[in-house]
Amino acid sequence: MALRELKVCLLGETGVGKSSIVWRFVEDSFDPNINPTIGASFMTKTVQYQNELHKFLIWDTAGQERFRALAPMYYRGSAAAIIVYDITKEESFQTLKNWVKELRQHGPPNIVVAIAGNKCDLGDAREVTEKDAKDFADSIHAIFVETSAKNAININEVFREISQRIPVAEASGAAAGKGFKLRRQPSDTRRSCC
Amino acid sequence: MRGLEDNKSDTASSDRSPTEMPNGTEVAQKPLTLLDRLRLCQSAWALGGPWDRDSIHTALWGQQPGSFLVLLDSTSQPQLLCLSVGGNREHVKDFPIQRSGAVFHLLESHLGFSDLVQLVAYYSLSRDVLPVCLFIPQRVFNLTQETDQDLSHLGPKFWLCLSSNPQQRNVTPPSTGLSMCSIQVTSANGALCVINPLYLHEHGDSWLIEKRSPQSSPSSVSRPFAARRERRLSTTRPWKGAGLRDMRGPSLDHESSTSPAACSVPPRTRPNSSPSTPVVLRRASQSSSSGSLKGRGQNRLSVDGETSSETTPVGSPVPQSPHRVSWIEDGIWLSPPPLTSLLQAPSHELDSLSISSLEEESDSAPSPIHVHSQRFTLVLADKVKNRLSAVGQAIGGLMSPQKRLNYKAQELSERKSGAFAESVKAFVDKTLKGSSCCASGSELLQEVRTALSSLREILLESPEIQLLIDSLGDISDLELDGMLELAIHKVALKPVCACLYASLQDYRDRDGFIERLKQNQHTMEGQKPEELGGAMGVGLPDAMVLEKIQQRWDSMHEAYSPSKKVQILLKVCKTIYHSMNTNSTPGAVYGADDFLPCLTWVVLHSNISTLQLDTDYMMELLDPMLLQGEGGYYLTSLYGSLFHISSFRPRLAARQLSTEAQHSLSQWHRRRTLHCNRSRRTGNRRTIRRPASREVEAESQDGAKLSDCSGEGSAAELPSLSGEETCETSKEILGLLREEDDSWDEAPGEVRWGCDRLSEEGGDPQQSAEAPETLREKPTGSPKKEKERPHSELRSRDVLWTVPEDISAGQLDKNKVTLDPDRWIDGEQKASKLATKCLYSA
Repeated sequence: MALRELKVCLLGETGVGKSSIVWRFVEDSFDPNINPTIGASFMTKTVQYQNELHKFLIWDTAGQERFRALAPMYYRGSAAAIIVYDITKEESFQTLKNWVKELRQHGPPNIVVAIAGNKCDLGDAREVTEKDAKDFADSIHAIFVETSAKNAININEVFREISQRIPVAEASGAAAGKGFKLRRQPSDTRRSCC
Repeated sequence: MRGLEDNKSDTASSDRSPTEMPNGTEVAQKPLTLLDRLRLCQSAWALGGPWDRDSIHTALWGQQPGSFLVLLDSTSQPQLLCLSVGGNREHVKDFPIQRSGAVFHLLESHLGFSDLVQLVAYYSLSRDVLPVCLFIPQRVFNLTQETDQDLSHLGPKFWLCLSSNPQQRNVTPPSTGLSMCSIQVTSANGALCVINPLYLHEHGDSWLIEKRSPQSSPSSVSRPFAARRERRLSTTRPWKGAGLRDMRGPSLDHESSTSPAACSVPPRTRPNSSPSTPVVLRRASQSSSSGSLKGRGQNRLSVDGETSSETTPVGSPVPQSPHRVSWIEDGIWLSPPPLTSLLQAPSHELDSLSISSLEEESDSAPSPIHVHSQRFTLVLADKVKNRLSAVGQAIGGLMSPQKRLNYKAQELSERKSGAFAESVKAFVDKTLKGSSCCASGSELLQEVRTALSSLREILLESPEIQLLIDSLGDISDLELDGMLELAIHKVALKPVCACLYASLQDYRDRDGFIERLKQNQHTMEGQKPEELGGAMGVGLPDAMVLEKIQQRWDSMHEAYSPSKKVQILLKVCKTIYHSMNTNSTPGAVYGADDFLPCLTWVVLHSNISTLQLDTDYMMELLDPMLLQGEGGYYLTSLYGSLFHISSFRPRLAARQLSTEAQHSLSQWHRRRTLHCNRSRRTGNRRTIRRPASREVEAESQDGAKLSDCSGEGSAAELPSLSGEETCETSKEILGLLREEDDSWDEAPGEVRWGCDRLSEEGGDPQQSAEAPETLREKPTGSPKKEKERPHSELRSRDVLWTVPEDISAGQLDKNKVTLDPDRWIDGEQKASKLATKCLYSA
């Protein structure tokens, strides 16, 4: 079975739970045979998708404003980016929009974008409605899920969706077409803003 | 050193009277072993009776690191190993000694010993779980048998009042190897295998043999493998190994009556016999533990190819945790480390005790030990060296594949008029001579990186290397690339490393970067991690850990191989994580939000200019394939930290980097993509790439339209070529191409050029997939036409680099396909298909 390494970059304001999401994703199916990484900033997990093995190399970024300028070093070459916001913090959703903008301008052209509204277990304190976020995600053709790293809700789903949207290695059939459509979006946008 | 020294004297004596040794009849004349010596003065260091933990601690207070005493319990059984560690806070540490059955071991370790003396002797050579090796005072080595009776009343005063001059120990080296480590095997470059007999007793020796034929299906490959081995044996000097068996046989028979000293004679200096005789290494006998090791005569370690293919065991391929086997550099084994290096740099620590983890490390740094070992190596007579090397060859299977590859690469690089040797020489000469011609340090390093990649290709093409690779069995391309890379580092990078650093320093001094970095370091030094962006409540490295980190940085600086450096960087990062987790809420997960400020804090408390040079070195010279993984991540973080510091503006909002910094970042980003030429073990994959380079190159002649087409294609236009078709077509076309144009074989640079170009333009699979449309619409020159273009144009990497520059400077910026090294593999596969399709349609 073919093994593909997929670099996935985690973006989002500090404190929204980026690393918790990854931690949950990786640790849930902890396999002692696989060498653990030295820390939670960089983690890997291999999942099977159709007839391929997808090895996610997950690069966490520091969400602080002061480190923001370093982000390009982290997201370059990423196959996908997961941008995380906190559903109980409106501000983190605005930051997310900035990340989307930046990725469009400077990110890899075909990067698969996933938006994760974390802490959905804290529905009482919600500041960002699911509909608003979903609409925004649709407008940029991004994957959207509300997650809870704490209660392990929708964590695996994010990555499964990413696997689906990653263009298959062999350029054939419908999957390629699907990927293609997604890919075209960013470049169109870019052209218009020239 | 000890072993080698002894070995020398053994050689001399065995030349004179070879019959002297075998049955240990001349024991009385042999010098005392370390074990004997330790036994003689056991009362001085193993204390019972009135002594307790506190009094021992008091006695050890102020003693040099490594000083130790053992506390016995009321039944005279060892209970506690108290060790002076020389730390700031805790000077003496306790390590409980446990007894399970007949075996003594430290509580935290799984290495068992049949008595206390052996345990102590072992830990004086290898620290395992201890922070430092045990220090055996010089006096002990001056003991003679005659002093025996005087020793019984000696107390710890004798033990601890030691001469302060550690060097003296080398004047009267302690005696022959320890019988507890019964198998002592050296290879030509000095890895020493120490096997605990208790381990063998427990697990047999099947793993040892298994190790040397790592193929997944031994039966199918053992024959040619064995044949190769035979040939190798016969081409080296006839090895005198069989004498070993002659000698060892009797010693087994007289097991109970044989003293440890007689049996511990190293196997390397045995007299002559035919090389085809099976060589059997067997554990030496141990009078002290013979009772517990009944029947071990069955545990033969067969090292001969034929024998082993008959006896290929079904056992587990590697030692199963928790039992471990130590491979120890002879530098460490042969003499207890000098005082100054008791707290050694980590590269010399027996940190993991894992197989092969240490093999390379003696190369890395001119530490005291290293200098030491070199000195003694030089002193060794050629004869001895050859014998050592013959032994090494004979047990080649015990060597790691990496080591074998290194030897072979070294050999090839020294071979007169060999292609590889000449390339290496040319590279080294050029680098040593003309390193100042580049505009910047990174340009210099890029050239070096390019050269390293070419050298790797050349090495890979050598038939001897191919043969070696085949014999290694099932190794993934990725692993193989890493191994080749390390081998290249050794032959090519090692000689020029110091020179490169000097140039780097020069460049960085001139551009004032280091100056700025240091200024900002000064400004930021006092900031707490919270001020650096970290969250409250995250642990920080304390002074002791920081000290340890500094040592690691030092050894990182000393390593010449960028891959090794990154390994050490990972150790540092692991230490930082460890500190973050101590004193923090349990179960907290620390991601980059917490790690980066912490790393920045550590960097601010380190030698920042050296760190910057090391980072430059690693960033540019590391195999691009490794940039995506864990090493790449933490290297990026280190680079980011340094950048953050260098661009720190106290008054400004820290939001934006200076334009200069931004520019530099994107430069780096772009550059790294261009080196993603990946070496391949098989020729045909390389040939598949060849047409790709031409076609794309041809296309670029038409005005580099590739970037334009990115948004224009659509899924419907994509030809639906199945993988199989593609493959077949490509084979046909390749056949044609190769006939037409053999000159491609002479210009590997062009191949990469084209691929680089392709990866740059269509840095990921999707882009590449779109490209055929354009190519098909604008048919380009045939390969023959292509050939007419001057090669100089094709070869120039400068041309390559200017392309993105133009794009970024010009209007195309928004359309520019971002460079994408991490999809290189995919891009490459696409590239070959793309080319095939183009040719097909043309």
